[in-house]
Amino acid sequence: MSGGTMLYGGDEIGALVFDPGHHSLRVGYAQEDSPKAEIPSVVGIGAAPETNLDPETKTDNNATPNNADQRKFYVDTNYVNVPRSQMEVQTYMKDGMIENWDLFEKVIDYAYANVIQSEPEYHPVLFSEASWNVRNNREKLTELMFEKYNVPAFFLVKNAVLAAFSSGRATALVVDSGATHTSAVPVHEGYVLSQAVVKSPLGGDFLSRQCRQHLEKHGIDLSPVYKIASKDVVKERDNARFTLRKLPENLTQSWQNYMLQLMMQDFQMNVLQVLENPYDERVAAQIPTVHYEFPNGYHQDFGSERFKIAESLFDNAMLGAGQLASTSVGMCDADVRLSLFGSVVVTGGNTLLQGFPERLNRDLQLRAPSNTRLKMISANGSVERRFGAWIGGSILASIGTFQQMWISSQEYEEAGKSQVERKCP
Amino acid sequence: MASGIDLTRECRHVFEQIRKLKQHRYAILSIEDERQIRVECLGVREAGYEDFLADLLRPGQNQCRFAVYDYAYHHQCQGTSSTCLKEKLFLMLWCPSQARIKDKMLYSSSFAVLKRDFVGVQKCIQATELDEACRDAVEEQLRSLDRD
Repeated sequence: MSGGTMLYGGDEIGALVFDPGHHSLRVGYAQEDSPKAEIPSVVGIGAAPETNLDPETKTDNNATPNNADQRKFYVDTNYVNVPRSQMEVQTYMKDGMIENWDLFEKVIDYAYANVIQSEPEYHPVLFSEASWNVRNNREKLTELMFEKYNVPAFFLVKNAVLAAFSSGRATALVVDSGATHTSAVPVHEGYVLSQAVVKSPLGGDFLSRQCRQHLEKHGIDLSPVYKIASKDVVKERDNARFTLRKLPENLTQSWQNYMLQLMMQDFQMNVLQVLENPYDERVAAQIPTVHYEFPNGYHQDFGSERFKIAESLFDNAMLGAGQLASTSVGMCDADVRLSLFGSVVVTGGNTLLQGFPERLNRDLQLRAPSNTRLKMISANGSVERRFGAWIGGSILASIGTFQQMWISSQEYEEAGKSQVERKCP
Repeated sequence: MASGIDLTRECRHVFEQIRKLKQHRYAILSIEDERQIRVECLGVREAGYEDFLADLLRPGQNQCRFAVYDYAYHHQCQGTSSTCLKEKLFLMLWCPSQARIKDKMLYSSSFAVLKRDFVGVQKCIQATELDEACRDAVEEQLRSLDRD
């Protein structure tokens, strides 16, 4: 099989689709329905080099000849979530963009070796990106894929465009609430109106912090699963009875925080809910409570606090999701405003929070001009909502005629990394 | 950003027949083999909006389509008692919510090429539910272009 002579992603060999986010990197083959793997966007960094070479650990291989960096790197849930002495956890993303390229390469290496299990030079690669990604970053990614991984072809698409297309809209306001932020991105005829992108740092991680604060204030012990060896069944609201596991010494703060955050994510997805109208103690009190059991065996019902915590995504005068969306529309030309209000696409893992789309609808209706037809489009399945951009990319990369759009390695060699600005708007 | 799918010559021809020669009321277009957009069916000049919707829905509840329609309505100008007949061309992107994501993606990413090649279209309408494709919704959008 000769990969070198192939210019475009052919039908014979599958293109790959990568969708990086703050929570995870989604990886898989084009034309499939869902990504093959969801790799957390964090890397565990071991401290000193050790002689012990477990088969499961991934050492910094000799890709970098000047091996000043002898640390061990742990990628993917099964390796990161193991308690290890002195292992720091660090993310490579910042503000929706890739920031720590060394760590990012580790994850890509891992993806090729363990998920794709094939040579990079045989597969064209389509990446998604945040709508506000900067030129430097885009060129760097293009360079990395062509120079280091020798991909035969490459393409970069804005994730908001993919989300709009996969909802059947060429023009839409894409409201994306993810782990670290919520953004409103107007897409017009397949192009992002980048001057009108609005974003706020209120996302899933923010909610996690709120949950943690709330629970700690109420004196609930937050021992993640890794600490617990065994637990007894106790009555509701009774103190938990559990025994601690023996753990390696010197667990780092960053790793413990990461594990706690995972636990909070589970809590918030199961317990939190948004009211359709602004928070009202009396309304909230009438809604049935939700029962939640913590890893240490403690369990109780949660009532109105479920709504109070989630309310913080919406009640902020400047940064609430409804305000964000209407600000974004307001910054667009008057003649596209109606069509944007007419198709609001809701996507991102955080929008799976119960009641999120309904509340956004209500908040937006209040802020839109009175005669506007407002229409919200949100995928029903959680897979579609979380992987919306990936699925869009997967389909796009598999369309036969799309092959002419890719940046081929030949074009890259002729014109360099600036191709990405020309070919992938 | 577009899918690269192109129109057949027949599409352009039919569009001119509608726009200039007024030979048809509407045309429904579909994507063939993920390669090109072709004309699927034509509506006679006398056809009404109900005929159009019937043709649009005929392929099935979950099928996406493009459509171009020469819509006529009476408009009363402010300050006059007479009404005048207006004819406006609109393009429609029909992606029913039950459609497969693959089809939605194909059609919505190819819509730009229709807008580019069909010069003289006054309004582009995107619809995922019938309430966005019905006569009232469409007429409201077209009327919003008129001055009172």
